[in-house]
Amino acid sequence: MATLELKNLTKKFGDFTAVDNMNISVAEGEMIALLGGSGCGKTTTLRMIAGFTEPFSGSILVSGKDVAKIPPYKRNIGIFFQNYALFPHMTVFENVAFGLKLQKLPKNEIKERVESILGLVKLTGFDKRYPRELSGGQQQRVALARALVTRPSILLLDEPLSNLDATLRVEMQVEIKRIQTELGITTIIVTHDHEEAVSLADRVIVMNAGRILQIGSPQEIFDRPASAFVADFMGFSTFIHGTIGLPENRKRPVVCSGHTLFVPEAAAAGLDSGTPCTLTIRSENICLTDEPGENTVSGVVQSATYRGHATRLEVKGCFDEMVYPAVSDYTEKENGNHVLVHFPANRICVYKNTMEEQ
Amino acid sequence: MREKRTGWFSCLIAVLVMIFLLAPLVVIVIASFTPTAVVTFPPKGFSLAWYANIFHSSTHFMEGLGNSLKIGLLATALDVLLGVTAALSICRYDFKGKNALLNYFTSPMYVPSVAFAFVLLQIYSQIGGVPGMLRLFIGHFVIILPYIVRNTVSVLHVFNWTLEDAATSLGANPVQVFFKIPIPLAKPGVLAGALLAFLYSFDEVALSSLLSTPRFITLPIRIMNYMELTFDPTLAAISTLLILGSLILIVLMEKFIGLDMFVK
Ligand SMILES: Nc1ncnc2c1ncn2[C@@H]1O[C@H](COP(=O)(O)OP(=O)(O)OP(=O)(O)O)[C@@H](O)[C@H]1O
Ligand SMILES: [Mg+2]
Repeated sequence: MATLELKNLTKKFGDFTAVDNMNISVAEGEMIALLGGSGCGKTTTLRMIAGFTEPFSGSILVSGKDVAKIPPYKRNIGIFFQNYALFPHMTVFENVAFGLKLQKLPKNEIKERVESILGLVKLTGFDKRYPRELSGGQQQRVALARALVTRPSILLLDEPLSNLDATLRVEMQVEIKRIQTELGITTIIVTHDHEEAVSLADRVIVMNAGRILQIGSPQEIFDRPASAFVADFMGFSTFIHGTIGLPENRKRPVVCSGHTLFVPEAAAAGLDSGTPCTLTIRSENICLTDEPGENTVSGVVQSATYRGHATRLEVKGCFDEMVYPAVSDYTEKENGNHVLVHFPANRICVYKNTMEEQ
Repeated sequence: MREKRTGWFSCLIAVLVMIFLLAPLVVIVIASFTPTAVVTFPPKGFSLAWYANIFHSSTHFMEGLGNSLKIGLLATALDVLLGVTAALSICRYDFKGKNALLNYFTSPMYVPSVAFAFVLLQIYSQIGGVPGMLRLFIGHFVIILPYIVRNTVSVLHVFNWTLEDAATSLGANPVQVFFKIPIPLAKPGVLAGALLAFLYSFDEVALSSLLSTPRFITLPIRIMNYMELTFDPTLAAISTLLILGSLILIVLMEKFIGLDMFVK
């Protein structure tokens, strides 16, 4: 049981800054998901926490104490490595038992714990195999078992489920979450999958180029991304440029390619009238309607792609930019069909254009 | 477990190669039992006289064998310590001149041993009074080092160093990590290197013949000296015993360490 705090944590490789002034505070038993594009510094952050590389500057506090002087093998931090790092000269059993043997636990307890964790990751009966005799997903689960079995006080998981099929992945998510809550392990999980982040984590951190862009509850990150960049990363695809006007009736008009969309006053707090801005809205929140009205613009369907749970449309002509509604009841087969698209005001996010977007 | 895949053609080739490699050995073994003083093949009759001669001959083969083993084992053991340390630091750390250092450690392989012996002789004569065993030991120590360094590096070269981090995160201190991760994983390379190095030293003629003193002579030099004077089946008998020795060495290694480590 421990809290974890990163203060102004920075890592440089030569001139290149891989992690730039990170500040996070993780509560006891909390699970944080770390999201971010490839090469943004996620693994580097975890390696610093575990003590494998030294920070350039800043500090790491575990339960309030600076761990700079504590050697990595005494930190009791479990880590799942992105490349698994299974010991090739040891069997599955020996791999998983490695940490327990070092703790000098009695033989029968080691055996019991290894068997029970192998059961959890659905690898019962694989204990005598060597890592090279396992599939990628099986290796991944052995590595997961090895990281979980020692019951560390802090757990760092670097894309632990990336190689599993959809069903197995959900099962493993449930197991990780169960073990983590039962033992109250403070956890950071790196993932490329938003759904995973949102369903597992108490809070989500979005990173880019070594910096934190946003920290928030999954709900906040999913519904109210802090910037257009985060929105893009979180799967928003419709981005509309416009100019914001003065408030009227707790709403503010945004003129976009000749049409006016109204957004909640709260969503556009701090933007002066006349400011160029970008609006974004999740595809699922855009709908088709029959009656003209506020925030409703007509357009032409250019293509429709069936996506299982919804059909994703590309609609041209509403604004200069394309819009992408995802609707569940679209049955038209023909393209070029005229539709009325409605953008619910309370679902729209507004961002001031940054320099490079203008 | 590997899949098994063999065809009749590859079997045939393998058998031919094996015959080619084994034939000379078979001839020597059979010839060692010749009763006559001249090696004939196939031999007329059967005799162990030449084996007895190994021990009775005025050429002290057994003393030579003892010297060869002393030099070979000592040089190999010390070279394993030095070579493995060197290989580990070369592979483990990133620093300027890594490759230069590796080449430095393997350079004795590329220097003709005669040239090397010449230099050593020069030095010995300047110092004066260097005992026979030390004279040979230094030469062998240097000349077999590359085999151990090269073989260890070739294993560590593809070594995944995050394995050390994994062991560390599970609570292993640096000493435990060292003996549980890189050492067992480098073992096949180290053993292969040590075996090659020892056999090289045991067989070495050029360097030894130039450096040895009358009081400290290794087996190959004894054999060579003997051959210059007499050419009887005693040599075949010695060779047979050496073959037997190597065979036992390989079987023991297979049994206790597992030669199959080499091919995995
Ligand atoms: N040892 C190193 N030397 C130099 N640069 C490094 C080193 N390790 C990482 N980097 C660089 O630091 C940046 C961050 O790397 P990191 O491994 O943390 O990315 P990541 O967020 O884990 O990416 P991914 O999602 O692809 O795993 C990358 O640009 C990488 O090239
Ligand atoms: Mg990574």
